[in-house]
Amino acid sequence: MTKRKMFIRMITASLTRRRSRMLVALLAIAVGATILSGLVTIYYDVPRQMGAQFRNYGANMIFTSAESDKDFSRDNIEEAAAVISSGDMVGMTPYRYETVRIHEQPIVAAGMDVEGAKITSPYWHVEGEWPSSPNEALVGEEVAALLGLSTGDTFNALYTPREDEETEEDVLNMGVDMTVSGILNTGGSEEEYVYMSMEDLESIVGGDPRFDLVELSVSASQEKLTSYVDTISGGDFGVSAKLVKRVTQSESTVLTKLQALVFLVTAVVLILTMICVATTMTAVVTERRKEIGLRKALGASDKSIIKEFMGEGLLLGGIGGIIGAVLGFLLAQFVSTRVFSSSIAFQPLILPATIIISILVTGISCFLPVRSAIEVDPALVLKGE
Amino acid sequence: MSLLELKNITKRYGNLKALDNVNLKVEQGEWVAIMGPSGSGKSTLMNIIGCMDKPTEGEVLLDGADIAKVSDKELTAIRRDKIGLVFQQFHLVNYLTALENVMVSQYYHSIPDEEEALMALERVGLKDRAKHLPSQLSGGEQQRVCIARALINHPEIILADEPTGNLDEANENIVLDIFRQLHKEGATLVVVTHDPEVGEIAERLIILEHGVIKSETKSSAADDAVIK
Ligand SMILES: Nc1ncnc2c1ncn2[C@@H]1O[C@H](COP(=O)(O)OP(=O)(O)OP(=O)(O)O)[C@@H](O)[C@H]1O
Ligand SMILES: [Mg+2]
Repeated sequence: MTKRKMFIRMITASLTRRRSRMLVALLAIAVGATILSGLVTIYYDVPRQMGAQFRNYGANMIFTSAESDKDFSRDNIEEAAAVISSGDMVGMTPYRYETVRIHEQPIVAAGMDVEGAKITSPYWHVEGEWPSSPNEALVGEEVAALLGLSTGDTFNALYTPREDEETEEDVLNMGVDMTVSGILNTGGSEEEYVYMSMEDLESIVGGDPRFDLVELSVSASQEKLTSYVDTISGGDFGVSAKLVKRVTQSESTVLTKLQALVFLVTAVVLILTMICVATTMTAVVTERRKEIGLRKALGASDKSIIKEFMGEGLLLGGIGGIIGAVLGFLLAQFVSTRVFSSSIAFQPLILPATIIISILVTGISCFLPVRSAIEVDPALVLKGE
Repeated sequence: MSLLELKNITKRYGNLKALDNVNLKVEQGEWVAIMGPSGSGKSTLMNIIGCMDKPTEGEVLLDGADIAKVSDKELTAIRRDKIGLVFQQFHLVNYLTALENVMVSQYYHSIPDEEEALMALERVGLKDRAKHLPSQLSGGEQQRVCIARALINHPEIILADEPTGNLDEANENIVLDIFRQLHKEGATLVVVTHDPEVGEIAERLIILEHGVIKSETKSSAADDAVIK
């Protein structure tokens, strides 16, 4: 038998035949490694998850006309939107705003792409239904209160032309009858408007289609978003693109805070694990003073004592690391499905990284206790006790 | 040249002189017993002979080399190569089998050899207990494992501190028989004991009192015992 085989036989015997004590240390390492790998897995997956979450909070880019007095057409919009790669584009909703008279009150009516708005304004809370057929409108809560409208009611929308505008007489006189499909509740200025499909607004207002604003939801990094905006605004599209600062900035602020939190928790967990392992190893060394004295009496050098205890510690660290890496992925998966309701991407690098870090952390925590082991006096084996 | 020679050894613990100007020679193949009341310095003497401690004053010559002057590291090497130890409390590694315990000694000395370790166990009549853990062995059996371990690297001196102190009559006899056998084969034995019977079997009996050698008697009982 080689020395190495005997070494392995001794340290595995120590771990397997002295289970209870080593189990505590193993548990500490495994729990530490689980939380470590779980957090890091979530951390790496979170930008992806968070991106999807933040898009739920609406558009992060808007298009307006490059020149304020000039409208922009569907062609302008489509050309400008083509700059954004289709993989990054989540949704796009053009809006047109016109003032109409409802129950003798001037109300802003907004024409939009209903399906698009569902994506770019997912936080809209609709009591009732979104407009799905012609002559249906989504009425902002404030408007509904002002006019006494509720879901299912009908109202007449009459176009009030701008002074310099000429309109056809029949439109002016008759207006269009609309049904309230639902009441819109957002907590914002949207509640002051009446929303309907672009076609319905055009039938009320008449004339050529035009657009005031396009809201876009784009999934890309801050740098990429900025470069899109610069390309579009700088290009000859007749379109001015802006980032909606509120959402995009909070996205990165939250990510930065999350990152800090992950680091903090990881550091705390690592320190707790180290304390636990160091405590256990100190107890193990104290418990085995006799054995250490004996080994020294048999001629073990300080080096081989250190090697044996470190060997046990590192083996423990490796086993704990493997358990932790597997459990950590399951933990991340669990958290991800619970919090983000989506499964997590497996990060192959985290597995070996967790094992290596576990071994390192265990090694560091074992260092001091093992140092104290070599101070044991071999003469103690002759002391009667 | 004597195998072991102690010259004017004094060991102080603070003001207490555990050993006071002790002179002792042990020849190759000799069987020496050391007796004396508790606290007389027997274990202290064993520690020094066994290279686990150094005297405060004096010279310890083992194979002519003064071990009082070498570094702790060299002392460890000398202990590993030249000394076989048997203890009153056996001191086996509790999570290793009898066989593995013997092999630990080989491991530190040179290379573990399962065959040879098994033969050493066979010598002390424990071949069939090789795979047992110390907790599965009786006290006498544990002491025999301890002796097998002390023998395995063919040490120049076997030191035993109260080897029969924790054993009953029957087991004491088994251990003493092994010692007789070893002595016959030419091993050098230094045995500390409280038991006059054990002391009398040795070729030479040294009585220690208050750290001083009180008397030395020679007997031929050891040879007689083997002849019997
Ligand atoms: N490490 C130590 N520190 C201080 N005093 C010690 C130490 N070791 C031994 N002594 C003292 O030295 C004296 C001799 O001790 P030693 O252990 O050699 O006695 P002993 O003859 O082996 O006794 P016993 O028969 O009880 O084993 C005792 O008075 C003891 O208290
Ligand atoms: Mg003693």
